[in-house]
Amino acid sequence: MKPIDLTTQLAGLTLKNPVITASGTYGFGEEYAAFYDPSRLGAITVKGITPLPRRGNPPPRVVETPAGMLNAVGLENPGLEEFLTTCLPRLEKLKTPVIVNISGFSLDDYALMAAAMPEDSCIVAVEVNISCPNIKQGGLAFGTDPRSAEEVLRVTRKHTKLPLIAKLTPNVTDIVTLAKAVANGGADIISLINTLLGMRIDIKTRKPILGNIMGGLSGPAVLPVAVRMVYQVYKAVRLPIIGMGGISTWQDAIEFMLAGASAVSVGTANFVNPLAPVEIIDGLAGYCRQAGFTAVREIVGLAHQ
Amino acid sequence: MIIVLHREIVIENRSLGSDIYRLVLKGAVAATARPGQFVHLQVGTTADPLLRRPFSIAGIDRPKGEITLYYRVAGRGTAQLTRVRPAETLSVIGPVGRGFTVPAAGELLLVAGGIGLFPLLALLEAVDRSAVKVKALWGGANRQFMEDVGRETLFQTGVDYAVATMDGSMGHPGVVTDLLKKVLAEKSAHGLAEATACGQGADAASAGGGSGVLADRPGGRTAFTVAACGPRGMLQAVAESCRQAGVPLEVSLEERMACGVGACLGCVCLVRTADGMLVRRRVCKDGPVFDGREVVWDETD
Repeated sequence: MKPIDLTTQLAGLTLKNPVITASGTYGFGEEYAAFYDPSRLGAITVKGITPLPRRGNPPPRVVETPAGMLNAVGLENPGLEEFLTTCLPRLEKLKTPVIVNISGFSLDDYALMAAAMPEDSCIVAVEVNISCPNIKQGGLAFGTDPRSAEEVLRVTRKHTKLPLIAKLTPNVTDIVTLAKAVANGGADIISLINTLLGMRIDIKTRKPILGNIMGGLSGPAVLPVAVRMVYQVYKAVRLPIIGMGGISTWQDAIEFMLAGASAVSVGTANFVNPLAPVEIIDGLAGYCRQAGFTAVREIVGLAHQ
Repeated sequence: MIIVLHREIVIENRSLGSDIYRLVLKGAVAATARPGQFVHLQVGTTADPLLRRPFSIAGIDRPKGEITLYYRVAGRGTAQLTRVRPAETLSVIGPVGRGFTVPAAGELLLVAGGIGLFPLLALLEAVDRSAVKVKALWGGANRQFMEDVGRETLFQTGVDYAVATMDGSMGHPGVVTDLLKKVLAEKSAHGLAEATACGQGADAASAGGGSGVLADRPGGRTAFTVAACGPRGMLQAVAESCRQAGVPLEVSLEERMACGVGACLGCVCLVRTADGMLVRRRVCKDGPVFDGREVVWDETD
């Protein structure tokens, strides 16, 4: 039996399979090494980092919702310097391609962080987070205005040769406008979707549950929204897409690839089933074998035909 | 690599009354579990309710390979859990977290609020009571709750205990921290606490895994220690009383949790380290047991 070719091409980047872990759900890669060898993954995306350390939002930071959850971590992270000196050497040991997610509060922040990323390490791409809903300035503000989004990508582009991934927020009226903007700005790859802004209220205390009041919705509940946006962006923009939003099973991953994603990210599902990413890798191969495809990339965008 | 994802067989899942259930699981967790650690259980197999639920380990029977958990039916997840039958299996991540220091000598005071009793039962079970003098203080809503839960747990252990109830229907009328203040006042009157500390170490190094919190701090080893679990407000009051009395304290914290393994940063608390720095800690991985002197109870301070 001939093995299925699981490799995927994202701009100049070749991954051995299309399954990535989503930023903020996988720490800096070490926690899930207790469950399987992270080198089985196509890549891991690490927790979003900012120039300076951030303590993040007060708890509660997570709350369950119907078939999903809200989070409002608020970009807690050790900061750029600590990331480079402590986290990166540990990441090297995982023998897995690493995507670094960067967030900023100004154009200079993005420039600084892009320039600081070594181009000869396990870092294979930089994901530009212009879509975090949980911080007061920056983040989402950059991601909902097409001109700002384009500018962030343009500035970041000037400071690194690494492939740039623009992570888009679904909290916009027209995702295609934003996708075109980041493409113009110089993004090589588009990842979508970040979380949908939401909130819950405790009916006993009559107060918002999250310390930050609002948070980002993720999990199976958001899957159809994400599939729709991947489908729309694939139709309108030529850049490769990393699809994410509620992917828990290989069937979900296939759906995203049919909509146009060249790779998929697994996020919230890690919390429920730590083995989800590796089960999805195996499931993709099984689907291709059954359906007569020799390479998983053959299915990308088939729903458009 | 320590594998922490298991399927455990349900041995017992039974109501004790007052919406409290006992769940006994057989599998790999018991072999390495330590008091104060918890398991992260998947209660169903569908997307709703989605997340795993953390439950502290209340009993560890290594020879039989069984752990005992207690849970209160509080929402959809725990309601679903009540319908699980013996011989079925559950997906378990565990044991996870840093547990209590198990003292090898001296005196240990357990202070529990409501279902905060459960992790302390595992500590009580692990302590060598021929070498350590143990006393338990337990507060709850009313006699019904205390009897439903206590008659199959604390009241059977033979440990010296005192109870408090909010409605005054059993024991001291009021909160458990009233009882704590009384004990600490007596200690102080007898010049105990730090005074009798004469090098009795805390044995937290057995059986691998994370050691207890106080064991890391030579200065924290004294003959009289307190371990507490309960609602946050109660723990804050316990911490204040222990601080005033100069008594070392370990607290087991509860927080809304997603991953349970330290990756998502959902379940954090704020800690003031010995050098005065305010830092985040993950309740699931750096805790759930923390040095009570370090926890910052009110973030708005």
